Amino acid sequence: MPAIVEGATISEAGRVLKKRKMGNKSRKAKKKVKVFQGSGEKVKIDRKTKKLFRKRAREYNSDDDDDAGKSALDKNRNAAPVFDDRRNSEADELNEEPQVSDDEDEDEDNEVLPAITKFAEGCRAFRAAFKSIIKKSASDDVLGPILSGQKKLVAQKLAEEESEKKLKGEVKKEKHLVAEKGHVKPANYLDAHEKFLIGVATKGVVKLFNAVNKAQNAQKGLNPSSSKDAKAIKKRRKEAFFTALGKPSASMTGSSAKVNALTDGVGSEPPSWAPLRDNYMLTNSKLKDWDKMQETPMEEDVGKISEGSSSDDD
Amino acid sequence: MARFQNKKKKVFVKPIVQKKPGNVDHVTGDKIPKSFVFSRGKLPGPLRQLQMDLRKLMLPFTALNLKEKKRNNLKDFLNVAGPMGVTHFLILSKTDAAPYLKVARTPQGPTLTFKINEYSLASDVAQSQLRPRCPKDLFKNSPLIVLSGFGTGEQHLKLTTIMFQNIFPAIDVNTVKLSSCQRIVLLNYNKETKLVDFRHYSIRLQPIGVSRRIRKFVQNHQVPDLRNLQDVSDFVTKAGYGSESEADEEAATVALASDLGRVNKASSKSAVRLQEIGPRMTLQLMKVEEGLCTGGVIFSEYGYGAEKKPDKQEATREDEENDQDEDEDAREDDDEMEEDTEDGEED
Repeated sequence: MPAIVEGATISEAGRVLKKRKMGNKSRKAKKKVKVFQGSGEKVKIDRKTKKLFRKRAREYNSDDDDDAGKSALDKNRNAAPVFDDRRNSEADELNEEPQVSDDEDEDEDNEVLPAITKFAEGCRAFRAAFKSIIKKSASDDVLGPILSGQKKLVAQKLAEEESEKKLKGEVKKEKHLVAEKGHVKPANYLDAHEKFLIGVATKGVVKLFNAVNKAQNAQKGLNPSSSKDAKAIKKRRKEAFFTALGKPSASMTGSSAKVNALTDGVGSEPPSWAPLRDNYMLTNSKLKDWDKMQETPMEEDVGKISEGSSSDDD
Repeated sequence: MARFQNKKKKVFVKPIVQKKPGNVDHVTGDKIPKSFVFSRGKLPGPLRQLQMDLRKLMLPFTALNLKEKKRNNLKDFLNVAGPMGVTHFLILSKTDAAPYLKVARTPQGPTLTFKINEYSLASDVAQSQLRPRCPKDLFKNSPLIVLSGFGTGEQHLKLTTIMFQNIFPAIDVNTVKLSSCQRIVLLNYNKETKLVDFRHYSIRLQPIGVSRRIRKFVQNHQVPDLRNLQDVSDFVTKAGYGSESEADEEAATVALASDLGRVNKASSKSAVRLQEIGPRMTLQLMKVEEGLCTGGVIFSEYGYGAEKKPDKQEATREDEENDQDEDEDAREDDDEMEEDTEDGEED
């Protein structure tokens, strides 16, 4: 306590000494005491004190994360000036005791005066302080009205909440990362690999389209409904098929056997064959295609094989 | 009185019960493969989106709005799949390590398990492009499929090709309409990394040797902007800026069998242009099982040493799904195909 040191050095009349000492001790305490001792114009002083209190309250709120040891005292003073006063007077007493031993005649006055004033001031001070507290609007406080003793606790709680929030956020982030695993945003440009893939796909499409072109050009100009043309179509298709395969006729026997097996299987179970279904004609309006359908079991395999050839695995 | 009689008669006339066209193509008469895309376990948001994208990719013959609940197990889907004629399951799942995609034939296997190393959604792909393309009838026809690099002769790769070839309806070269070929799915196997690139492109045909302006003019039916031209003939003769991709390789040109749209005539050559429409995946084949998510392990990425592990899984799984006959599992693909057709016919 700086008060003790100063008290020892000063040897003047009690009032002066006290004033001075208070002044040095801390601004807050000093002015308060000054005002109450004068106590001539209550209204004016009250306003001042109110202002002061408000200012202090704001100051306090602005820096709520000061260290606890220092703030504890400040809080007490700030919120309940009455206690403050009392403590100050007590401190005075303590301070002045060594002075008593130095010059006793003066000291007696000093000793008595603060004791009296203490009581009277205490009442007033309490009233003023209470009034100021009641009049103080809590709206500008972030935390709302909080007892000064609880302030530390509240701060702790807030800190805890914050840390919890942080933890939760981290957990959420982790979860999100797990959910997004493997998810890749493609680049805006086509890199070499993509270009290569597109090339492969294009090749496949071109192959298929060319095959289609060849097959459908072969049957151009022929009417599938007449039996003579149908035969010609069959022949041409076969030729086109084998040229597309690009294989000798020796291997063709095997594939043709496969085709036969498939057609046999289809033949034994007629309903799978569309033309033989009950609703076939009902759903398909084109009657003239009827003849064309008959050949399809044979051609179906062709389609599959040509598709296979378009997929580079042969 | 006569009226009444007539009415009575009308009551008795039953409308012809139109059986669903079902699993058989009208034109070619062969079986149309159908698919379900669903998930096992809870998926995070992006994977759910991927599931939706996959459904769109499989579109004409898949259940786009398939609802699934937590309590649905594989058997439920299987029970529905029979009468609906669904032949393939695409099952998405997720572990802490990575998402997984299982591709399975329905009544009884085989099942291919892929690990999804990387993936991008269709929306991501669209975002990365300057002009994402999505014509209205893009998803009205099933895509073509191109498999490349699978011809290394290994057994599991062969199985993969068969599986993916049969997942989409076969194309008959003689009857197919080029206008129905709008999309293509590419599976490219990389021998070194053993990864399969899964891409999905839209196909566009453009006439060759026609300036961009004229092409646009024919396509858009809009009055062209002639402000900067001295003469009308400039519109035709001025080249404009030929885009660098315009002078492209000969490889990508096709002669068409028939006219396609307003621009692509059979007489002129056309260029094939592909533009990606998601999703994009990098897959790694982990495991091949004989049954539908059960049965003996034909192939495992981790070699023979890993066969013990799947055995354990098998034991637990067989408890859940008790009767998947093993003799049925042991059958080969071709037999299954025939059996499937039989099943369909019985329906």
